[in-house]
Amino acid sequence: MLRFDPSGLRKYTVIFVLLALVGLFSLTSPYFLTTRNITNIISQNTYFVIVAVGLSFVMIGGGIDLSVGYQMSLVSVVTAMLMVIYEQPVWLAIIAGLVLGTLLGLINGIIVTRIRIFPLIATLATSVIFQGISYMISQAKTYRNYPEAFLFITKSKVLGLPFDVFLTLLIVVLASFVYYQTIFGLRVMALGGNEEASRLAGINTRRLRVALYAICGFVVAIGTMVMISKSNTTHSSFGPGTEFIALTAAIVGGISFMGGEGNVPALVAGVFVLAVVGNGMQLAGWGIYPQYIVRGAILLGAVAFDEYQKNARRSRLAKS
Amino acid sequence: MKSDYVVEMRGIGKRFGGIHALKGVDLELRPGEIMGIVGDNGAGKSTLMKILSGAYLADEGEIYVEGRKVHLHNPQDAYNLGIGMIYQDLALFNNLDVARNIFVGREYSRGPLGLMLDKKSMYKKAEELIQELRVDIKSPRLNVARMSGGQRQMVACARAIAFQSKILIMDEPTAALGVTEAGKLLSLIRNLKERGLSILLITQRIPDILAIADRVFVLKGGQRQAVLDVSQVTLDDVVTMIVRGKDPNGINAPSVEFQSFG
Ligand SMILES: Nc1ncnc2c1ncn2[C@@H]1O[C@H](COP(=O)(O)OP(=O)(O)O)[C@@H](O)[C@H]1O
Ligand SMILES: [Mg+2]
Repeated sequence: MLRFDPSGLRKYTVIFVLLALVGLFSLTSPYFLTTRNITNIISQNTYFVIVAVGLSFVMIGGGIDLSVGYQMSLVSVVTAMLMVIYEQPVWLAIIAGLVLGTLLGLINGIIVTRIRIFPLIATLATSVIFQGISYMISQAKTYRNYPEAFLFITKSKVLGLPFDVFLTLLIVVLASFVYYQTIFGLRVMALGGNEEASRLAGINTRRLRVALYAICGFVVAIGTMVMISKSNTTHSSFGPGTEFIALTAAIVGGISFMGGEGNVPALVAGVFVLAVVGNGMQLAGWGIYPQYIVRGAILLGAVAFDEYQKNARRSRLAKS
Repeated sequence: MKSDYVVEMRGIGKRFGGIHALKGVDLELRPGEIMGIVGDNGAGKSTLMKILSGAYLADEGEIYVEGRKVHLHNPQDAYNLGIGMIYQDLALFNNLDVARNIFVGREYSRGPLGLMLDKKSMYKKAEELIQELRVDIKSPRLNVARMSGGQRQMVACARAIAFQSKILIMDEPTAALGVTEAGKLLSLIRNLKERGLSILLITQRIPDILAIADRVFVLKGGQRQAVLDVSQVTLDDVVTMIVRGKDPNGINAPSVEFQSFG
């Protein structure tokens, strides 16, 4: 009854795609494969990777969170204002931001599990609520010039790596560890694979799902710190849009919309597929805007591929 | 307190909205016996067993396990009392391998605070279970999605008995199996009985019951009709009881067409 398992190979498809893209663009532009350009790509994408990892917890558990973009907006505004307007110590502002992010995730989790509405709609709604709160607090103003200690996040080096790159690597390794080596990780996979069976297996599925949204909020808040430290400015419009990149990267990286599947290296590759496509197009002189069209097309293609895989598997199962 | 029964259910009632699925059902299971549970579709068999496995909460009634009154709020409670259930729809995880399917929810842990998964013990124990059950599954690392109905049934079975269950509930385990696989499963059930398990077996295949069960419990319209001694009844007796109920001449006698149970 053993058949060839394409999903085993599929896990790494995205890594081959990334390598192929790198190959392609290094042919079309001599500048693409320079240290400077590659360093740039990595540096610009650390917070996308962090946010995508956060979102992966919700998605592998079979949920979705469209509100991460406005979670970032709200967290960044609060953190920045604490430092710039209220002149609070940097550590306090960071902790407040991380706690706030966790709370926002918790709220999403409670709404999704208690009111039992589709997470897509629920988080779309909370997203708009977070947007409103963010703009009310910030009064749509821009906040800039953070204390030097906060810029440390992107300016300092650890083990020869920029701190944000180091932090991103740490989060990636930690998340992989959680998924593959811990009981919690197995239960996340189980929840995404079959919620009712998880309940029958004695797992408190509701509490687990709430925890996943809270973890997502926490990790997204870390990503937010990196984002605003890098730009040294904050505005309520900073962050929205990230949910799209993270979601697309997740799907491209093989994290199914249905949950229960995914691996972190492929997720990271998913982020860089989008990044490299954007960078390559820019170097080819296409400008910024066509990138949106390409990103949308990539998401459509990835979702279609995901569906196709699911259907193929279903009909295979039906035959056996 | 000692009891003659390993499980006693008293006056179990359950409603789903307007549907009165179970009406004051009593059930007694003797230690080490196989008891068949039969009845038409919708008779309430699965519901009664899910109450015993903690998947559903009864609206009324009491449950005693080895003479002690118990409160089953969730499947974990039942499992801790040694009650394991194989659900009709199997409740497997298609995205996970055999060993993970067996142990999820009751993982072997290691490391600081017991947060880490002890994969080594998990695979070793899964391998042992596979051997013990004489199941034809080549490796506990195989994904269950691509397995046959029989193999999946075996995985569910291994899962239900992995941690010294004393009472095993099986909900129509042979329903989706071919003749050979069903035969294998029946001999496995016999093996389990020899190991001292008490087994509740829901099935539509009356001949299976006559072949391996000690007694058969007949349910109809959410009510207990009879508990028959398998050695003293024929297939026709059981079928008649399923279709007509205990009171064929009384006012409750429903008019139901004859149905064959294959
Ligand atoms: N979760 C549920 N929600 C609503 N009705 C249910 C549910 N489970 C069972 N029922 C109803 O209870 C009755 C008994 O069902 P069930 O126990 O599955 O019967 P059986 O297993 O004997 O075929 C049926 O009328 C069924 O529709
Ligand atoms: Mg049933």
